[in-house]
Amino acid sequence: MSRQFLSWAISISFFFLCGCATNMKIDPQVTQIDNIDFRIKGKIVYEGNKEYLPRILAEEPASNAGLTFEYTYDVIYGKHDVPSAVALFNPLTIAGFPTGENTATIIGKLDVMKGGEVIKSYNATCILEKTQNLFSERTFTDLRRQGLLAVRNNIEVQIYLDKNYLEKLRAPE
Amino acid sequence: MKTRRFVLSKLILVLLLVGLFLLSGCATGPKFTKIDVIPEDKAVVYIYRPASPIGAAVSYQVIANGTHIMPMVNGGYFVYYAKLGENEFSAATETLSSVTLDVKPGQNYYIKSSVGVGMFVGRPRFTIVPADVGEKEIADCKCQGERNKK
Repeated sequence: MSRQFLSWAISISFFFLCGCATNMKIDPQVTQIDNIDFRIKGKIVYEGNKEYLPRILAEEPASNAGLTFEYTYDVIYGKHDVPSAVALFNPLTIAGFPTGENTATIIGKLDVMKGGEVIKSYNATCILEKTQNLFSERTFTDLRRQGLLAVRNNIEVQIYLDKNYLEKLRAPE
Repeated sequence: MKTRRFVLSKLILVLLLVGLFLLSGCATGPKFTKIDVIPEDKAVVYIYRPASPIGAAVSYQVIANGTHIMPMVNGGYFVYYAKLGENEFSAATETLSSVTLDVKPGQNYYIKSSVGVGMFVGRPRFTIVPADVGEKEIADCKCQGERNKK
């Protein structure tokens, strides 16, 4: 009896926990590298919150190498709600049945320019999906922030893996 | 005969009460008009809530960048002149809902709000919608005012 109860309890807990996680996909997939100590200097063109700018870039307005980094991102939101009338009268709602899903797609792009021409572009796309239920909700603000940081980190790794090429670009001709 | 009259009068009373309850949360005010002149250093954010019988009596305060700006009622909308850059809009009853906009000068933005199912009370829901969708949906909403113009 107690074993049966335990297995039920574990199943129900698993059901609840499944609904709590945020599903994140990022493209391209790169190996996470912590504490990147490399910095590439140049002029930075970016209008948004500094927190979301790849930290590997260092501002040097009067760069001899003439490198310019232009960073832009776009956020697209999606929402799929179970109709309120359905959720209201569905007895499973109280047991954590989904009441909707929020999605956020973040597309980040870093252009490396020299002499007014784009030499190389680094792109990253992050898709976040969060199922909502009575016990677990995440705001679009949270999803956006998580996605922008993931895109920033991804582009940082891409630049780091390309550091030899970028250093050569920086070298005066 | 007397019993039937009694039941009928009770039924009418209940219907009137339900009607009054639903109407109590409905917005009144002028119909939607788009803002023509947007200050150079700002953008216009329309925050609207299409009329719906679900959660009609629930209203909640809308908070912009940490400041309470206006209660959002069923079928209402209001205009917020947003500073450039990041702007966060939120509302809370038993849970918090929030969206963040990257505001660019002279642009129009639309935030749709609604009420979702909650444990004890309806929960606010905010979504950023494209301008073409927002313009259609806001058409039947009633203006509740403007905020942060100066």
